[in-house]
Amino acid sequence: MWKHKTFTFINITGMAVAFGAALLLTLTAFFELSFDTFHQNKNDVYQLYIEQHHANSVDEGSAMPIPITPALKAEFPDVVRITRYGDFGGSALRYGDKVFNYNIRCVDADFFKMFTFPIVNGNNTNPLADKNDIVISATIAKNIFGNQNPVGKLIEVKVYNGWKSMNVTAVAADAPRNSSLDFDLLCRFEQFPGYDQNINDWDNQSHNVFLQLPAGEKQAVFEQKLKIFVKKHYDANIKQLIHDGAKPDNSGQVLSLHLIPLTDIHFSAISSQSKAISKFYPYLVLLISLFIMFIACTNFINLSLGRAFTRAKEIGVRKVIGATKTQLIVQFCSESFVICGISLILGVIAACIFLPQYKLAFNQQVSLNILSSPAIISYILGGFVLISLLAGGYPAWLMSVRKTAQTVKGKVGAGQSSGLRNSLMVVQFALSSLLIICTAITWQQLNYMRTKPLGYNKSEVVSIPIGSNIDPEKALTQMRSKLSSYPQVVSVTGTDMNLGKGLDNNSSTSIMAFSYKGRTVSTNWLRIDYDYVKTLGLQVVSGRDLSHSFGADSTMVLINQKMAEELGEKNPIGDLLPTDGAKLQVAGIVKDFNFKSLHHEIAPLTMVIRTGWPINYILVRVKSGNLVSSMALINKMWKDTNPHAEIGASFLDENTERQYNKETDLSKIFVTGAIISIVISCMGLFAIVILIITQRTKEIGIRKVLGASVNNILFLISKDFLKLVLISICIASPIAWYAMNNWLQGFAYRIQIQWWVFVITGAIALTIVFITISFQSIKAAVLNPVKSLRSE
Amino acid sequence: MIKITNLEKFYRTEEVETIALNKLSMHVDTGEFVAIMGPSGCGKSTLLNILGMLDDPDEGSYVFNDIEVAHFTERKRADLRKHNIGFVFQSFNLIDELTVFENVELPLIYTGVPSAERVKRVEEVLDKMQIMHRRNHYPQQLSGGQQQRVAIARAVVNKPKLILADEPTGNLDSSNGNDVMELLTDLNEQGTTIIMVTHSEHDARYSHRIIRLLDGQTVMENIMI
Repeated sequence: MWKHKTFTFINITGMAVAFGAALLLTLTAFFELSFDTFHQNKNDVYQLYIEQHHANSVDEGSAMPIPITPALKAEFPDVVRITRYGDFGGSALRYGDKVFNYNIRCVDADFFKMFTFPIVNGNNTNPLADKNDIVISATIAKNIFGNQNPVGKLIEVKVYNGWKSMNVTAVAADAPRNSSLDFDLLCRFEQFPGYDQNINDWDNQSHNVFLQLPAGEKQAVFEQKLKIFVKKHYDANIKQLIHDGAKPDNSGQVLSLHLIPLTDIHFSAISSQSKAISKFYPYLVLLISLFIMFIACTNFINLSLGRAFTRAKEIGVRKVIGATKTQLIVQFCSESFVICGISLILGVIAACIFLPQYKLAFNQQVSLNILSSPAIISYILGGFVLISLLAGGYPAWLMSVRKTAQTVKGKVGAGQSSGLRNSLMVVQFALSSLLIICTAITWQQLNYMRTKPLGYNKSEVVSIPIGSNIDPEKALTQMRSKLSSYPQVVSVTGTDMNLGKGLDNNSSTSIMAFSYKGRTVSTNWLRIDYDYVKTLGLQVVSGRDLSHSFGADSTMVLINQKMAEELGEKNPIGDLLPTDGAKLQVAGIVKDFNFKSLHHEIAPLTMVIRTGWPINYILVRVKSGNLVSSMALINKMWKDTNPHAEIGASFLDENTERQYNKETDLSKIFVTGAIISIVISCMGLFAIVILIITQRTKEIGIRKVLGASVNNILFLISKDFLKLVLISICIASPIAWYAMNNWLQGFAYRIQIQWWVFVITGAIALTIVFITISFQSIKAAVLNPVKSLRSE
Repeated sequence: MIKITNLEKFYRTEEVETIALNKLSMHVDTGEFVAIMGPSGCGKSTLLNILGMLDDPDEGSYVFNDIEVAHFTERKRADLRKHNIGFVFQSFNLIDELTVFENVELPLIYTGVPSAERVKRVEEVLDKMQIMHRRNHYPQQLSGGQQQRVAIARAVVNKPKLILADEPTGNLDSSNGNDVMELLTDLNEQGTTIIMVTHSEHDARYSHRIIRLLDGQTVMENIMI
């Protein structure tokens, strides 16, 4: 091994880089796949969701009405446990004179029996026995109580009409990072805002419901049972849906209840606990890690093969002396085990060293703890043994079955292995090209989304998440008056829904359906304030904007063009929309704008100034030029208004950018995968070129004597490889096109894949390969032929 | 055609400097057949490499066809070489991966002869060397004598003015060796200048003149009658 330093170096470096990168990617994938698997009851717990079919669309949502849980309990006595899980809403709490802002979730008493969130201190049998009990997570307990024992202490939680005392009964371990359910504090569901008012309201869907079925009961069986339940409790809704022309599903239902297995929630597009990461994503990451390993192994096998043939004589001699086939295979395999072993160790060390940077760069929450899981250990060791055996064993076997007389003469030409070598290289470069193309297309789509005009001003509007420790209306009024004296501020408004994703990381949608002239019309619902149109630079295409100058504008609404279409009126200005409660009149129509991410088509939107509904964000339009100082001014004013504010303001263009974090991460993984695979492929190519040139030194000399120029020689050596690269690109292009076209279908607004992406990728791959080959080829080509001829 | 004066060539390793050619002077006229003889290490091969413009001298002058080439660049030498000089080696130096036809065609490709013209000229020369029937065979499938014929065919296909032969019969039995010498003699009679390095007095007798070298210097010249 040490006699061939270049090859050993290339083998070990390539394999170590591949092992390290593959390890990090594997950890990422396993982390995603490990979501919610730590619950002991993971196989029996499900989240409930409702599916409603309309004439042209299907709604699926996990939000449930309050009475459904008692009804399920009463009608399905065999359901082992059931809990609601709702967001307390504004979550300010007080202990002594300190005020905190944490997430409080409202659950039923079964929660701790269904889910594995161990109690580390306090009542561990029934921590939420009483209506006023509250459970606190370990980290938050430390933040609030320091070193005191929190159990038995009273804390005050802010409710709509003041402060309410609650009794801390237990401290629960923090929810692991791979948990879809997260909480700082947990209280009884009876504390859920609006609990008493909506206790019998089947139309107010506000929280999630989790069920634990009897062990072994099939999901489909229970879903079947739910049909009768649906018929009983949703009869009116079903009739209305059918009246509106709903198209039933395959089993004839227009409204049905279904279950999502607990371990699928993380990947579900329906559950509101989900990160809506497609399950495809971790498998894609795993696939890329396998690509990288494959490429490194290919190098290893190719180099072993190549060297095996240059070592043919040695092997022949060994065979003549009496080495058996097994002895030879053992010799080759032990060499490959040593190289793979060293690489694996270096790779693990590299992965540990680069883990913090990796987490930062890719926004991944990976920890090395996963490494201790038996599944991943066996995965890594299994891979290691397989790779060592393949990389060492195959060339060994190939050599050992050759006729001894042939090998001893060193007469086993490299040509005999070049078929396999070439196919491996084609696959190698096809994988690299695939990753380059994917990188290019994700980048193009990202760039398209970043630069596409959204119909509103995103670069000069600042959004401030209000938070729960201040009255939002008061906050808006104060900010308005404070900022009005500054010339760089154009206007200030408020809204309940952010545009893009702010620093509070929240996004919400509220959709309302009402009956309009005998039809059900469904629209996105947006609480705005005066100057919303002006602040965002929207365009009123018909009617007028909402304004202080018309007294009763709290009963007027603005709609977008899509909504006007939905209403089906030629001129809907002045029409009355019969929503629940008041009738609202259409004041104006604004030009459609992308109030959601570009994954979604623009949907019907109704905007209303209704002071009863809370605003959650203040939007401030500033003049262009010196945005930094405007931002500083706004932050300062906000700090004055709300000294407890924890979350900062951000420009809307940062917010819209944040919507595409998932895509950005994906493109980063593609880029890294592409770079690593290209580097490793080229290292292998480099070594193979050295081997080939060594084998062809004499031929190069002869050709030079006969008049070949350096270019002739370069062409001679590179043409075979360039041919392989061309084949690779032809293989990779349709696969990449198919995969990326599928990916793009997830965006309502998307780029067309251009033919030149493939051409440019091809050119890049060819150039890189050519440069790699040139290094050694030029060296061989300028060598004095006298020397190369003497080398025989 | 060739005039060299005070040619010097050294080989340096870290410790020793060996003088391969020591102020060597000689000349070869157009149409001559010259044999160079001498013991191993006397500088024969070095001289042949310099004459073939595969290597350049350290000192002295080398005039080829009235052009001073001693300090030509690699590119210029290569250009001059491929149009004027053909090589025949002791170990034939055919390319194993190419057929007889392709081996012979190679120098024409490198001098940019168009394809149709190449086929014509290769066939002509293969015919002349009586190996036409072997045109699609690979070198390993031929006997040594046949391989050397291919090598000679390749050397002359470009119609060079000068053929440099480095022990062309060294790897052949006497019958095949004689055939090769006959071929070279024929070529010489048709006007090609030939310089041949050889150990064999028998082969040397085919030449017009023998130059004997020792320690990088000319020690004797025999004119053959």
